[in-house]
Amino acid sequence: MAEHTAGTAGARLSSQVDSLIRAAQRGDQDAFEQLVRVYDQSVLRQAMNLLRSPEEARDVYQEVFLKVFRNLHTFRFDCSFHTWLYRIVTNVCLDHLRKRIVRKEEPAVVETGEGRVDRTESFEEGSAHADPERKLWNRQLQERIEEGLQDLTPRERMVFEMRHYDGMRLRNIGEILGTTEDAAKNCLFRATQKMRSALGDFV
Amino acid sequence: MTCDLALKAIPLYFYGELTPSEEERVEQHMHECETCSRELERQRALGPALDRRRIEPSAGLLEECRADLMAAIQGGAGAEAPSANPWRLFLAALEHSFRGWARFRQPLGAVALLALGFFAARITPIAPFVAPAPRVGPADQVFSTVRSVQPDNAGGVQIALDETHRRVISGRMDDQKIQRLLLTAAREDNPAVRVESVDLLKSQPASSEVRDALLNALAHDSNAGVRLKAVEGLKPLGSEPEVRKVLAQVLLSDDNAAVRMQVVDLLVEHRDDAIVGVLQNLMQKEDNSYVRLKSEKVLKEMNASIGTF
Repeated sequence: MAEHTAGTAGARLSSQVDSLIRAAQRGDQDAFEQLVRVYDQSVLRQAMNLLRSPEEARDVYQEVFLKVFRNLHTFRFDCSFHTWLYRIVTNVCLDHLRKRIVRKEEPAVVETGEGRVDRTESFEEGSAHADPERKLWNRQLQERIEEGLQDLTPRERMVFEMRHYDGMRLRNIGEILGTTEDAAKNCLFRATQKMRSALGDFV
Repeated sequence: MTCDLALKAIPLYFYGELTPSEEERVEQHMHECETCSRELERQRALGPALDRRRIEPSAGLLEECRADLMAAIQGGAGAEAPSANPWRLFLAALEHSFRGWARFRQPLGAVALLALGFFAARITPIAPFVAPAPRVGPADQVFSTVRSVQPDNAGGVQIALDETHRRVISGRMDDQKIQRLLLTAAREDNPAVRVESVDLLKSQPASSEVRDALLNALAHDSNAGVRLKAVEGLKPLGSEPEVRKVLAQVLLSDDNAAVRMQVVDLLVEHRDDAIVGVLQNLMQKEDNSYVRLKSEKVLKEMNASIGTF
């Protein structure tokens, strides 16, 4: 029943999105804004989690939706809009990740919904009175995770991010990246192997 | 199933990416192999550790992104930038050249006329009609437009021209002179100049002149990008009665939904009795779902009815 309701809601959203796309393609700017609002929060969240920098996430947001605005007329409904949009998102994010590799930097403090958070502190458990040994362990675990993520190639990172955090299916990820489901599976396998080896005895 | 295959299948099993029969084979192997079973436990422990790294962007950041995007589109950034292949560059150059000709149509016509007069009368050539004026620094430029050309009886010619001097002035935002220039620029004909000016002015909302300019831009500017920048600039002043009055008027009259979205967000940040009537009126005619939902939510929270009776 719940699945049926979710399916009906999904179909309704999809038909609303289709109408918004058609209206936006005819030049209706109001429809374009509403279309952006359907997807922009998840795009910003993905950029923020991948790049860990509000400034870069903001750049990604702007680049992605300006590309959508410029190219929406080329969308022919031959794939889902979500897939089409995420092709743009992944390309823009991959560019930023590749530049990031050249610069080798990752800011320690990030701006989040809960204010400014130190990445290493965000991993602390419970209150300030938490067991100091536990805190130290958590901090080391966080550092290992960051190191592990740094070891992933931009493509592995994207696949890992989309599967683990965004819950996308590997078939869809393959479609977005212009590759096969098997290639996406291999990417995910390599990414988890690297993460597990970086974490060593921690998990 | 061998251990090699099982190890490879662990992440896919964990993420639910295997077929039911593959899942069954993995589970069977885990039941029989302690080493692989430990690996699966490690994979399961990795999940929550990674989940805790997840961060949520702030609502403020999302709103800023939305406002920036709409301003960029309104300001013309949405127009397609051609990729830089030689053919496109050539076409762009060609187009640019013709655009340039169109701009100089009037002065060139005047030049042609002048040339005719020159050859007919065989007079000594006069100075070219576009000439840098003396006393102008190297960064300055002069643009001239010929308004009239009048031959006189002695075989000479009288030319009336307007000269526009372009000067580059730089300074800090807290400089009064710069602020005054920006206030003027905020009323320029060119919408791109107005967007930029209002964007810069919004960093100085404490000045009453700037506040008035922002209010004026929000209430009267024909370009939605400028109005969006103005709302952004008014954010720190959202509790001032005069600002709220303009926000309420704009919310009920602006035809751009992005502007109304920003205005409703700012207006309801500070709740007073006056906004109940404004939101109730708005609900009678608003067709944008975001603005409707936001207004409905606030009215409910303030225990007010959704419509007027």
